[in-house]
Amino acid sequence: MHQGASGSDRFEIRFSPKWHPQAQFAGIYMAIEKGIYDQYGLDVILAEPFSSEEALTKLDLGEIDIGHFDLSQAILANRDSSHIVNIGQISQKNSVMLVGKRSRGISSIRDFNNKKLGIWRRTSHIVTEAFIKENSINIQQIPIDWSVNIFIQDAVDVINVMRYNEYYQLLQAGFSEEELFIVDLCDWDLDIPDEGFYVRPAFFREHPEVCRSFLQATIDGWLYAFSHPDEAVDLVLRIMQDANIRANRAHQSWMLEKMKDIVMPSASEIGILKREDFDKALDLSVKYSNLDRKISFEEFYPYAAD
Amino acid sequence: MPQIKEERSLAYQLISFIFSVMLVIFFGSIIVTRVLYSRVMLDSQLDNMRHLVHERIYLIDGILEKVEALARTSQDLATNHRLDSAEFDRYLQNLLTDNSQIHSICLADQFKSKAAPRVMYTLRHRFHKREIKNMDYRYQDWFQIPYITGKAYWTEPWVDHEGKGEMVISYSLPLYESGLISGLLRFDIELKYLQGLITDRSYFKIGDSFLVSSTGTIVAHPDQRLVMNQSLFSLAQEYNQDALAKLGAAMTSGENGFVKIGSSSPFRDSWVYYQPLSSNLWSAGIAIDQTYLMQEINLILLIQTIAYIIMFLTISLLIYVRAMSVSRPLKALAEAADRIGSGDFNSQIPQSRSSHELATLSHSFTTMQTSLKEYINTLRITTEEKNKIRGDVIYASEIQTKLIPSNTAHPFGIRDIRAHGILEPAGDIGGDLYHYFLIDEDHFCFVVADVLGKGIVAAMAMTMVSTLLPSIAPYYKRSSAMLGELNNFLCRNNIESNFVTAFLGVLEISTGKLEYSNCGHVPLFIRKLDKSLHTYRETHSTALGVFENLDIGCDTIQLDIGDELILFTDGITEAMNVRDEFLGMKGLEKIVNNLRSTSPEDTAKNILNDVHNYARGSSHKDDITLLVLDYKHPGIGIYD
Repeated sequence: MHQGASGSDRFEIRFSPKWHPQAQFAGIYMAIEKGIYDQYGLDVILAEPFSSEEALTKLDLGEIDIGHFDLSQAILANRDSSHIVNIGQISQKNSVMLVGKRSRGISSIRDFNNKKLGIWRRTSHIVTEAFIKENSINIQQIPIDWSVNIFIQDAVDVINVMRYNEYYQLLQAGFSEEELFIVDLCDWDLDIPDEGFYVRPAFFREHPEVCRSFLQATIDGWLYAFSHPDEAVDLVLRIMQDANIRANRAHQSWMLEKMKDIVMPSASEIGILKREDFDKALDLSVKYSNLDRKISFEEFYPYAAD
Repeated sequence: MPQIKEERSLAYQLISFIFSVMLVIFFGSIIVTRVLYSRVMLDSQLDNMRHLVHERIYLIDGILEKVEALARTSQDLATNHRLDSAEFDRYLQNLLTDNSQIHSICLADQFKSKAAPRVMYTLRHRFHKREIKNMDYRYQDWFQIPYITGKAYWTEPWVDHEGKGEMVISYSLPLYESGLISGLLRFDIELKYLQGLITDRSYFKIGDSFLVSSTGTIVAHPDQRLVMNQSLFSLAQEYNQDALAKLGAAMTSGENGFVKIGSSSPFRDSWVYYQPLSSNLWSAGIAIDQTYLMQEINLILLIQTIAYIIMFLTISLLIYVRAMSVSRPLKALAEAADRIGSGDFNSQIPQSRSSHELATLSHSFTTMQTSLKEYINTLRITTEEKNKIRGDVIYASEIQTKLIPSNTAHPFGIRDIRAHGILEPAGDIGGDLYHYFLIDEDHFCFVVADVLGKGIVAAMAMTMVSTLLPSIAPYYKRSSAMLGELNNFLCRNNIESNFVTAFLGVLEISTGKLEYSNCGHVPLFIRKLDKSLHTYRETHSTALGVFENLDIGCDTIQLDIGDELILFTDGITEAMNVRDEFLGMKGLEKIVNNLRSTSPEDTAKNILNDVHNYARGSSHKDDITLLVLDYKHPGIGIYD
C-alpha cells in the first residue's frame, strides 16, 4: 500500500502538517521542492491540516502516516496507551507568548488579574495553564480561534500568540513592541518544545528506516531553507498564494527567521527530542492535565537509546 | 607671440550674443516657473485628490450607514417589538430582497428562540436560508467580538463559508432580551462591491485609490496582490519605508492628510491623500504618482522650452538675414576699398541704401575715392616737381662741395701751414662754409661762416660768400675790410635778409702774424704745442648782412710755432644729447683739452667724432663745420 501510485520505488508517505502553509513548515516544502525526499526514497504527499483530534484519529485509522503534534499534545494523546511515538522533534523551543496592551493598564503579570485572556481552543495550552497556575493569576479564559482581532478590538485584554506568527500580525496591525506587555513563556521555565513528527508505534516497527529518512530529509530541507531564506520565502509565498491564504513577505521572512531559533538553536540539537524536555512536558501534563499513566521516555521516543 | 583671435562674422556674433542672453532668460524663467508653479500645481492636484477621495468616502459611507441603519432598525424590531422568529425572518428576507447592497444576513438568536442560527441570502434572484450546523461560528470575529463587548462591530473582511462563500465585511450587533444578549444579528456587504467603488478607474484615472481596514490591512487596491495580503505596516517592513508605517498609523487613527511616500514599495514615489470613513474605522486614500502631479508643470516647461527654441530660431534667422543685408554691402565696400588700396582708383564703389549708415558709408567711400584720386594726382605732380628740385639741390650740393677747398696736406703747397676742413650739412646742402685761399704769396686767408637758416637760401648766401671773398681779397687785404665789403654786398643782395656770422683771418705766412675779425661768430680756439688752449672770444661786429656800412674791427695776434687754430660753427657747440642738453663751449673745450692729435686732420676728425658721440640718439641736427690749421708745426715734415 505504500508503494508509489506512479509505480516508482519510492515509499509513499502521507503527512499532515499541523497548520495551513506558512514559513513554519518551510523545511518540509523545501525538501519537497528540491527533491530531497525523493533522494531518500520517499514520496511525501501533504494532506490538508486537521485539528489535532482529527489528525490523531486519521493516524489511528491509517489515513495518514505521519502527524504533526506539539509535545504536550502528543504526551496527552498517549494518556491511555501508547498511540503515537515521536520520530523527530522539529521544534526545540516553546513559542507561546502572552501579550497585553499597556494602554489597557497591563504592564506586569499582576495586571493580568481579573482580565480576559484569549486562548486557543483547539491546541494544548498546558504551558499557558501552568504559567497561570504557578503565578496564581486570576484571569478569565476566553477560548478563541486564530484571529487577533478580538484582542485588537479590546474584546479580550490578553491574548496568546506564537512569537513567529500572531505576534507579528499584531506588529503588522500597527502595534509597536513598546505598546505591548509581553510574557515569553520560555523565560518562565516553561520551555516545552512544540511540534514534532509522530507515527503509530506499529508503523515505526515496520518502517524504521522510512521514519529515519523522513526526519533526515526534513532536516536537510530546513538546512537548505535557512541557508537560502529568500528562495524559501518565495516558495512559501507561492504555496500560500496557490492556497488562497493571505500572506506577505515581511511576515513570512520574520517567521522563517524565528523558525531558525526554534528548529536549530544549536547545530547539535536538530530533530532530537531531549529527555529533559520530555520530562518537563510529562511533569506539566501530570500536574495540570491529570495524566495518571506512567509514560516512559523510551516508550515515547524510540530513538531514546541512540 | 599673442594668438590672433579668429574673426567671426557679424551674424555669428549677433546670434551667439542673442543665444547667450536667451539662455540666461530661459533658465531663469524655467526656475521661476518650476518653483512658483509647482507648489500651486501640487496644491491644486492635492485639492483634486481630496475632492475625489471625499466623494468616494461619501458613497461608501452612504452604503455602510444605510446597512448600519437597517441593522439597528432590525435590532430594535427584534428587541422591542417582540416579533417571533418566523416573523423576524420574513422581515429580514424583505430587507435582503429590497436592498441590493446587503449581500447576506445572518441571525444567530439561539439563546432566545432555540432555533438554529441561519444565514439568509439571495442567489440568482432566489431567496436562500441555510441553517448553520457547524458551531465554530461562535469563535468567529463577527460573533465573538460583539458578543463579548456588547457593542456593534464592523468586521475585517472574511469569507463566509456558510453563506455564498464570498469575501464580505459584516456589521454585527447583539440582540438583547431583558438586558442580556439573546443573539447576534449580522449584515454582510460583499467586499468586491466596495472594492469596485474605490478602485473604479473611471473615477480614479489619476492614481491608485485604496481602502485600509482598522488594522491597516489593504482591503481594496488596484493591485490585487496587495489586497488582504498586505497592511500598510507590512509594506513598511517589507520595503523599509517608515513613511508607510506613519501613513498606516495615521489612517488607522482616523486622521486625514497628505503624505509623501518614497520610491520603493508599491506606493512608489507618490503623494497620498487619506481620509477616514465616518461609519467604521476604515480609511480611504489615493496615491498619485509624483510624475503625474508634475505632469502639467512638465508640460508647461516643455511648451516653454519649445517656444524658446522657436523664438531663438526665428530671431536667429531674422538676425542672419538682416546681418547679411548689412554685411554684403560692407563686404562689397571692403572689396572696393581693397581695389582702391591696390591702386585701382577708378573702381566702382557699390551704393547701398539698405540703411542710413550704409548709405553714409558708401557716400563717404565715394568722397574718399574722389579725394584720394585728386590727392594722388597732386602728389604725383608735387613728387615730380620735388624730384626735379631735389635733382637741382643735389647738383647744387655738388657745386657747393666743389666751392670749398678740398683737403690737402699743405694748402697751395705752403709748407708752413697744414689745414683740414670738414663741412657736414644737416640736409643735402648747407648754410655753413669754410674757405681758405692765398691773397698773395705771403698772405693766407681763411674764413668760417654760418648763414642763418638752412637749405637753398642759406646755400645761396654761402655760395655768394665763398665766391665773393676770394675775388675781393686782393683789393681789400685786411680782414675787417673784406668783411665790411661782404656785409655791404649781402645787405644789398640778400633778398631773404639772412644774416651771416663769420670769422675771417689773414695770416702773414712769413711772420706768423694773424689779423682776424670775428663778426658775431663763435670764438677761435688756439691749441698750443704744450696742449694749452687759448680762446679768443672778442667779436668785432654783429653778424653780417643786416646793417650796411658796419664798422668792423680786427685784432692781430702773433702765432707761435706749432699753434693749432680751431675754427668751427655753432653746429658744434649747439650739438644736443638725448637729454636735449647743448654741448656748449665748455663741452667743446673739454673735448679739445683731451685731444692727443698732432695734425689738423686728426684734430678735426677726433673733435667731430666726439661731437657725434655726444649727440648720438638725438634727433636734433644742424650744419657742422670745422676748420683746423696749424702753423709751422714741428711735426711738419716728420709725419708727412
